[in-house]
This record gives sequence, structure tokens and C-alpha cells, in this order.
Amino acid sequence: MDRKKYGISGFFQRIAQPFINFYKRFMDGSIGTKMSHFIMGAGNIYHGQIIKGLIYFLIQVGYVVFMVTCPKVNNTPLGYKAFINFVTLGTQEGDIFTPADNSMLMLLFGVVTFGITLMYLFAYNSSIKSSYKADKDLKNYGKVTTFRHDLKEMFGNRFYIAMLTPATLGAVVFTLLPTLFMILIAFTNFDKERQAGLKLFDWVGLDNFTTFFTNPSGEIAARFLPVLGWTLIWAFFATFLNYYGGILLALLINKKGLKGKVIFRAIFVLTIAIPQFISLLAMRNLIGEYGPLQSFLIKVGIMSEPMSFLANAPNVWIARITIILINLWVGIPYSMLLASGAIMNIPESLYEAARIDGASKFTILRKITMPYIVFITTPYLISSFIGNITSFNIIYLLTGGMPKVTGGYIAGGTDLLVTWLYKLTIDEQQHNLGAVIGILTFLLTSTVTLITYRRSKSYKEEDAFQ
Amino acid sequence: MRRIKSFRSLALLLAICMIMALFAGCAKKANPLTIWVGVESVDFYTAKMAEYVENYKAKTGEDFPYEIAVQGVDTGSAASKVLDDIDAGADIFTIAHDNLPKLTAGASAIAPVRSQALLTQIKSDNPQAFLDVIDMNVQGTTYTFGIPYIAQSLILMYNTKYLTKDDVKTWEGIWAAAKKHNMQSVSLTGSDGFNNSFLVLAKNETTNRMPTVLYEDGITENCNFTSDEVVAIMQWGQRFFTGANGAKMPTDSGWEIELRDEISLGVITGAWKFNAAKAALGANLGIATLPSFTLTSEDVKGTNVKAGTVYRSGTFADCKVFVMKKGSDKADYLEDILLFLTSKEVQEQSFIECANLPAYKNAAKEFASMQTDNLETELAARQLDMFDYGIPQPFGTPTSQFYYYSKGAPDLIREILENKDGLFGTTEAIRTQLQKVENIWKTGERE
Repeated sequence: MDRKKYGISGFFQRIAQPFINFYKRFMDGSIGTKMSHFIMGAGNIYHGQIIKGLIYFLIQVGYVVFMVTCPKVNNTPLGYKAFINFVTLGTQEGDIFTPADNSMLMLLFGVVTFGITLMYLFAYNSSIKSSYKADKDLKNYGKVTTFRHDLKEMFGNRFYIAMLTPATLGAVVFTLLPTLFMILIAFTNFDKERQAGLKLFDWVGLDNFTTFFTNPSGEIAARFLPVLGWTLIWAFFATFLNYYGGILLALLINKKGLKGKVIFRAIFVLTIAIPQFISLLAMRNLIGEYGPLQSFLIKVGIMSEPMSFLANAPNVWIARITIILINLWVGIPYSMLLASGAIMNIPESLYEAARIDGASKFTILRKITMPYIVFITTPYLISSFIGNITSFNIIYLLTGGMPKVTGGYIAGGTDLLVTWLYKLTIDEQQHNLGAVIGILTFLLTSTVTLITYRRSKSYKEEDAFQ
Repeated sequence: MRRIKSFRSLALLLAICMIMALFAGCAKKANPLTIWVGVESVDFYTAKMAEYVENYKAKTGEDFPYEIAVQGVDTGSAASKVLDDIDAGADIFTIAHDNLPKLTAGASAIAPVRSQALLTQIKSDNPQAFLDVIDMNVQGTTYTFGIPYIAQSLILMYNTKYLTKDDVKTWEGIWAAAKKHNMQSVSLTGSDGFNNSFLVLAKNETTNRMPTVLYEDGITENCNFTSDEVVAIMQWGQRFFTGANGAKMPTDSGWEIELRDEISLGVITGAWKFNAAKAALGANLGIATLPSFTLTSEDVKGTNVKAGTVYRSGTFADCKVFVMKKGSDKADYLEDILLFLTSKEVQEQSFIECANLPAYKNAAKEFASMQTDNLETELAARQLDMFDYGIPQPFGTPTSQFYYYSKGAPDLIREILENKDGLFGTTEAIRTQLQKVENIWKTGERE
């Protein structure tokens, strides 16, 4: 292992390396490679790789045309003007007959142009490297590779690159750029007072973050910690109750000698087959004030009068506990299936050895079954925890974030960070504050994922159970 | 080796298919003239636009130059959709009139009406209350933006099995029947600003004046919600909502079940819930204007209002309006289309086919279809009656009615009415809470 690559000096060394290589290629390269630094594909053409050279050249021409002509989409330019607009976020205020600059599109197109430029730079570097490689091939083997050979290579030994390139591009276009856009929104004053296309918005630095944490008179700051607290409580209980509930059920179903295992398993799987929103709405009606459950309980004298357990619950904790319990109904079958798979794969020899050693049933469960299940399902447990932090359906369909709590006029008592974010952006058009919550949620989920996964046995002892 | 090759071929094929699909998805589409209407009226307006195209050809001898696409978009979300992406909005779309301020804030997302013929039709066909809320000021100049075509107000839908026409004249009558049958007097479909307007906008029957002052003359500061009369009305409301067999706040089960299972005697709602109410009550569905109520000595304590004062429940009497996208490349054709779609004749047909309450000011007298004796006509007639007891939701600054919802003003009113733990048992506590609502109306902040 190259030790130089670690530490602060290693970090800077890794950053500097591409520039050093760039300089080296320019100094060492042939005249063609030197030309490639100015005209993409020139080196390949110089070495007789005409098709490859033309492809690189066309990429450069395309990029230059794109940057110079600044094509407009919805009256907002891309190209070099997008970089200028990215800084100003528009200058034209507009009037009743002429549209105002659309600050949101300007921000978006700035990000898009930035992405296109990065991709161009990648292709530019690739063009130089390709020419430099041709220099080396000529020096070492006396010939350069043909286009046919390159193609064969691409669909042969380097097939993974051919396949990963579109996927990577897709991830950049559909995930990375929108995420970057969302992050940037958090540094603007894009809110309901400044609707995109009607009124310009501007960069405000860290103002939204300071508002979020330091303005005690506003709801945002006052409600953030309670909502965050409830989000974590919810994620903890929703994850672990489902997880251990599922394991318990799996242990019962997979018990030796139990008849009709398949039927039992199928019954629980049926709850997965029914769309979640139908299960949730049915459950809401079932336990509603005038639903069949309460009617029955009143009839048998357990309850004296109807009460709400969800959106109109008299106490917020009643609604919270009800949601956690309902979530068991839709969540346990998943972990039951997963745990069943793990249990069925535990080698029988392990149990036999334990029994010969005189281990009790509880010891076998504690020392063999549980570690095995936990080892296999840890990644599921982590993703489930993250999924519950960003769980939207259950809260939205069961309570819509309600019941109301004192001081909360946007966020209700069962609102998670994600449902609060939805209300702030969709209902209230507070895009900037929504973006701040988005960033904080992302930081929370990514931190939890990284720490727990890196500390888990699944990661540390990857080969242990193979 | 052969298996690897076939796997690679398959992977390649799939990748090519994905790329082709991406290009196909991004390909330029035809650019029709688009109209967004309420989801329930798509078929009706599609047929009307086909008729318009025929008329156009007959009148000009030429085909209408664009394809026309009539699409159903929830009226409540049309404005938000446009604000999310102005260029993606329809050429003509429908909104509730109270969305006009946010659409005309800054440089405006919608175009003003400029056709003299359309302006004349708007002026001659609509009640003054609607004309007052469709003009907006943009950068110092006032323009007409909305063309009213549907009206809406709150009414009472009730169970005729338990309530007579006399009972539903007053809330006291309904409450007495509820006590007799051990049911709840009335359900609400929500507790927002529109639903609670039956109390907030109640009108003094003697003075014919509404104690609540809300953006009078369009001035943001002209709001008053802390008068003795309002406090007394809230105390009556508190008694009505907390007393046995009184009114019910919304429940998890929903008002439809409460009506169907005979838990409540009626519901305060509008025409848009007519089908659901009909499904719940069937032949027992009755329709009435919202009742009046009389303040008792208990309600007026701590105020200078006299016991026995009678108030009529009020309503936000709103209208839906068509608006035009600013900068539409079909702008030359839009106003003529709107002249047709908001005409008296089309409004009447819309009433007959979709049960849409017309915005046309003399509909009750002039529309032949409104002279018949059926439930739909009753529905329209009672809603029109309610216009005497209501006002269109007014606004101060472009975003001031936003705050009515987002800063929780309806929740503050709900807290008074529910009076949990006796927190609002004194006039001072009620008045302090009402002051917060008034502040929200005026400044957007509670304090």
C-alpha cells in the first residue's frame, strides 16, 4: 500500500497529481499530443486515429457552440450566460407585459452548465490521455491501436466501462445535479414572497441556517428540535419493533414440527401484496371514532365514548404510539421474510454441535441464531432506519402530521422532518427553509449510515459467514 | 464464453433501449392550446371547446389554428403548479379568486384582460362582490385579471329524517332535535378559514352588519376581530362546540361516516360535497341556508352585547375565475375563447351538466333550469341565498391571506371553540387570542 497517499500531504498530493500529469503530458508528448491540449482529437488524427480524433473534435465543437450560442429554454439561456446568471440570479425585474428573469431557472441552468463543463473537461483530459497513450504505443510497439481494436476492447475487456458510463451519467444528471441545486437553494431567499419568474431572489449566504437555529420567535427554530426528536424516536421504534417483531415471528413460523408453515408465511406475505396506502387507509377507518373497532369496544363496555387516536387525538403521544403500532402491521412481514431466509440458511451442524455441548435453547438462540440473523440483516436494519427517518406515506396518510401542537402552525405533532419539509415547500412555498431541512436530514441519515455500517460486523467481518 | 457474450449483448441492448427511451421522452412535443379546468368538468369543457372550434370555422371560414387540450387540474393546486414552473402552465387555467394576489405579485404570472368585449361582459354579468376581487394592482396600475364563471358558498346539508324545515332555520332548533335524538347537531368537513366562516363572518340580523372587519376596502390595516360582538359570537360558538349534542369538529372517521351512520344531523359544506352527502343520506338529504343563532346571557357575559341578539351564520362567498398565462404565444385567441366559456349560456349548461353554481348575477331569476323543483336546483338556490350573508374572501397585501392559513389563524379560532382545559373561559383570554388572529391578518405575525 502506498503510504504517501494518506494524511494531509497525501490529500494535497492526490489533488495535485492530475495537474502534474497534465503538465508532464504536455512536456513529454509528441506534437500531436501538444496540439490536443488546444484542439481535442488533434493528437489522435496526427497518429492516424481519424474516427476517434473526429469524435473528440466534435465534442469540443459541440461544447464551444453550446457555450457561445447560449441556447434558451423557457426564455432562460444556457451556455456562458448561465454562468453569469448563476452569480446574479437575474437582473430583469419584469412588468405586467414582460416576464421577470426566472431566478430559479437561472440557478438550475448554472448548475447544469457547470455539470456539462465538468463532463467536457473529463472528455478533454481523456483526449489528451488518448493521444499520449498513442505516443507510448508507437514508441513501445511501433504502432497505434485502430478504432476497431478500441471498439473491441470497449466491448471486451473494458465492457464494464461501456456499461457504467451511461449509469454514471444518469446518476450525475438525475441525482447529483438536482441535489446540488437543492443545496444551493438553501443559500438563497427563494420563498413565497419571491416566486420564481415573478420576483427575483438572491444569494443570502448562511442567513437561512441562522434563521433556522437562532430565531426563537419563529416557528421554524422553535419546532426544529421537537420535530427532529420525534423523527428519531419514530425511526428507532419503527425500525427495532418491526425488526425484532419480524424475527420473533420468523422463529415461531420456522419452529421445527410446526404444520402449515407455508400457509402461515403466505398469510403474512399477503400484507405486503396489498398496497401500503390501502392498508393504512383501511386501518385509519377501522380505528376512527366511528369505525367498527371503537363501536365494538363501546358495545362491550371497554370504552365509554369514541375518541380519536390519530389526527384529532387529545394528546399527541396517543397519535404517535398509534402510528408506531399501525406501522408494525405493514413493517413486520418484511423483516419476518428476511429473518426466515436467514434462519433457513443456518447450518444444522452448528445446532447439533451446540446441543452436544449441552447448550440450552435460549443459549442457542443467543449464541447462534441471533448473531447469524443480525449479521446478515444489518444492512437491512440500517436501510430500514434511514427509510423510517424519511418515511412519508405512513405519517401523511394516517395523520397528515396532526394533531396540532402549541406553537406549531405548519408542523404538527406527528410531523417528521420529511413531512414538515413537504409542507414548507409544497404548501408554504418556503423553498429555502425546505432546502435547509433537506440538507440537515441528509446529514443526519448519512452520518447514521456511515457510523453504524462501519461499526457493524457485516462490514468488519465481511467474509466471516461465507 | 458464449454465455458472457450473450449477457453482454443483452446488457448492451437494454442500455440502447434506455438511451432511446430517454431521447424519445425529451423529444419536442406538439404545442396545443391548453386549458385547465376542474377535474369534474373536463368532459363538459372539452365538448364546449369542440363547439367553439366549429363556431370559429363558421365565423371566419378558417380552421382554428391550434389543437385544443382541455385538462383536469385540481383548482386548489393550479396556482401552485403555475408558480412552480410558470412556462409549464396552461394558456388558460382556473383558480379560486383568492389565488389572484399571489399570481399577480411582483411582475405577475398572468395576463390582464384587455379585450373591451370581455371587460364589458365581465362587468355586466357579475355581482359587484365578485367585481371587487378580480382587479389587482401590479406595479402601481390596476388591471382586471380574473373572469368569474363559478360561484361557491357554504350551506347546510341535513338529514330530513330528523330535522324539519322549521328546525333548520336556527341552530337552536337543530340543537334541540339533536338532544332529542341523542345525536350531534352538525359536522364540519374541516377547521380551516373557509369552514369556520359560518361563525367568523356571522351577520347581526338587526343591523345587517358583520362584526368581523376583514380587509375592508382592500386596505390591509382595516381589520377588526376583537370587538365585543365577535367575543360574544365566539362564546356562543364555544358553547355550541363543547356542549352535549352540539357541533362536532372534524374527526378521523370523516363527516361522511358521521352523516351516514346518523351520528350527526347535518354538515356545513358546499356544492362540491353534494355527491358525497347524497351518497351518505340518499333520499333523506335536505338542503338549507345556514341557520341563525341567538346569544344568551351566558354568551354575552363580559361584553356590552345584549342577550337575545340574533346573528345569521355567514360564509366566504367565493368565485372561481379563469385566468390567462402571461406571455402565451396564443394570446391573440385566449380572450375570445374566454368570452365564450364564461358566457351566460355556457354557465347555465355547466350548471345543468356539472351542477356548477353559476357566477352570473341573475342566474336564479333568468336561468330556466333553476326554476325546476329538484335537489340540484335547491342546492343552487340556497347557495345563491347565502351570498346575501357572505363576502368573497378578501385580501390585503399579495400574501396576506396566505398568513391566514400558514400562521395558524384558523387553529387559534379552533382553540377558542374547543376551550380545552378551560383555557378560553374568560373574555380576556378569548380577546387576547382574537387579537393574534387580527395581527396575522394585518401583519402576517401573531404578536
